[in-house]
Parts: sequence; structure tokens; C-alpha cells
Amino acid sequence: MRTAAGAGALAASWALAIALAAAPAGVGAADPARTHEVVIQGLLYVPETLTVRPGDVVVWTNKDPFPHTATAAGAFDSGSIAPGKSWRFTAKKAGTYPYLCTLHTTMKGTLRVE
Amino acid sequence: MKNFIITVAASSLVLLSGHAAAQAPSDAQIASIVVTANQVDIDAGKLAESKGSNAEVKAFGKQMVTDHSGVNKQAVALVTKLKVTPEDNPTSKSLKAGGAENVKNLEKLSGTAFDKAYVDHEVAYHQQVLDAIDKTLIPSAQNAELKSLLVSVRPAFVAHLEHAKMLQASLGKKS
Repeated sequence: MRTAAGAGALAASWALAIALAAAPAGVGAADPARTHEVVIQGLLYVPETLTVRPGDVVVWTNKDPFPHTATAAGAFDSGSIAPGKSWRFTAKKAGTYPYLCTLHTTMKGTLRVE
Repeated sequence: MKNFIITVAASSLVLLSGHAAAQAPSDAQIASIVVTANQVDIDAGKLAESKGSNAEVKAFGKQMVTDHSGVNKQAVALVTKLKVTPEDNPTSKSLKAGGAENVKNLEKLSGTAFDKAYVDHEVAYHQQVLDAIDKTLIPSAQNAELKSLLVSVRPAFVAHLEHAKMLQASLGKKS
């Protein structure tokens, strides 16, 4: 049973690899995990709303001269991101996560995982 | 006390707008105003970090030191690159005097009286600096990079003002 499932998974992953090789980059349901950038500058998250898939990586980069956070209560919290530094987060559970900077609560963004 | 402090903050910045109306500041003068405005809030923030009694007030003071130091570092890097020497002017001098006056007043206070006086001043100060940024500094800046720096740091003053107002409201409820 285990072996059969393993073989099935292996076959599926090969099929996926072939499909991916054939598909144009960046489109299609069988995309591998992607990395998305959110730039923090002038006390804004750019883009303000970002939609990703489970497994995708989101990287927040702080281009302001002082620290910020990207914090969604109960879901994720970057802690202080120093000027010029980045924080990476791997999206897991589907949902809509409004987040803010705990240091500057006028800063708001939304991460959608779907 | 609250009114006195706000008057001190407001009068030093009324001078700022009054002066600007008479004569737009040069880039060298704007550089000096920016550095002085940040330094004044760093000094007050340091005092709040050590003398504040409420944990949120202390944290706010610490953040003011961090944020305004960051802005000043960026401002100094820019004026160095542009080979602009910050030039003292009536506005920067009055900001400096107003800041010293504020620190002198705060040093006499402690406990909740200190917290309230500090936060009240922060509200008035950020509001007035924001007005100056909008009405005088951004419109007068000649160099594009200096103007862009002012535009990019403006939201920090908005966020600080909102934060200070929230603190002011919560301190008010506790009294």
C-alpha cells in the first residue's frame, strides 16, 4: 500500500515536472511555490494587497530609515524589520489576513492566501 | 501646564510658518530645520524613555528616538551627498529653543504628570511639524531629492501624531 502510494506520488511528480517544463513560466495551476515581494517604503506596503497560494513565500523588505513590522494577529508576526532588512514568510493556510505595523498602526496591508 | 506646553510648541512653530510666509527657506535652511526638528524630538524621546512612568509612554519615547534618528541619518547622508551645509536660520533656532524649553519643563515633572505633559507636547509638536512640512518645507524645497526625502518621511509624522493622540486619549481615561 505504502509502496503503491509512493510509486503513485513519484509518477505524479514526474507528470508534474513534465507539465511544468512544458508550461510557460508563471502561469497554470501546477505552479511551483513562488516568491512575492512586498516593499515597505514611505510607511506603505507595496503592493497593499497581495494574493498568493499556499506554499508561496512572501518577502517584506524595509526601505524606510527606521524599523517596521508586518503583523497579522494570530497568523504571523515579523517582529522588528530593521532598515534595509527583509523578512520571509511561507504562506500556509488559506484565508485573508489583514496585517499592520505594530510601530506605525496607520500602516495596513492584506495578505490573501487562496 | 498642558496649555503652557502646547503654547510653547505652537509658538515656536508659528514662527516657522510666519518666517516661511515672509521668505521661503533655502535648501540649506530646510536641511537645518529637518535635522533640528528630528533632534528636538530625539531629546524629548530620550527623556521619556528614562522618566516616563507608563510603559506605553516609555515605548513611544524609545520609538521616537529610533525613528527620528533614522530620518536624521538619511537626511545627513543626503545633504552630504548634495554638498549642502545645513544653515542656521530663525526657524531652526526657534525649534531648538522650543525643544530646550520643553526638556526643561519635563525635567521638573514625574509620574503621570510627566507622561501627560510629554504626550501633550508630542501631539502639538507633530501636528505643527506636519503643517510646516506641507505648507513650507515641501513647497520650498528646490532639490528634487530633498523634496522626495520630505515626501517620504511625511507619513512617519502622520503615524506618530496618530500614535500620540491614542496615548493622549488613553492617559486621559486613566486620570
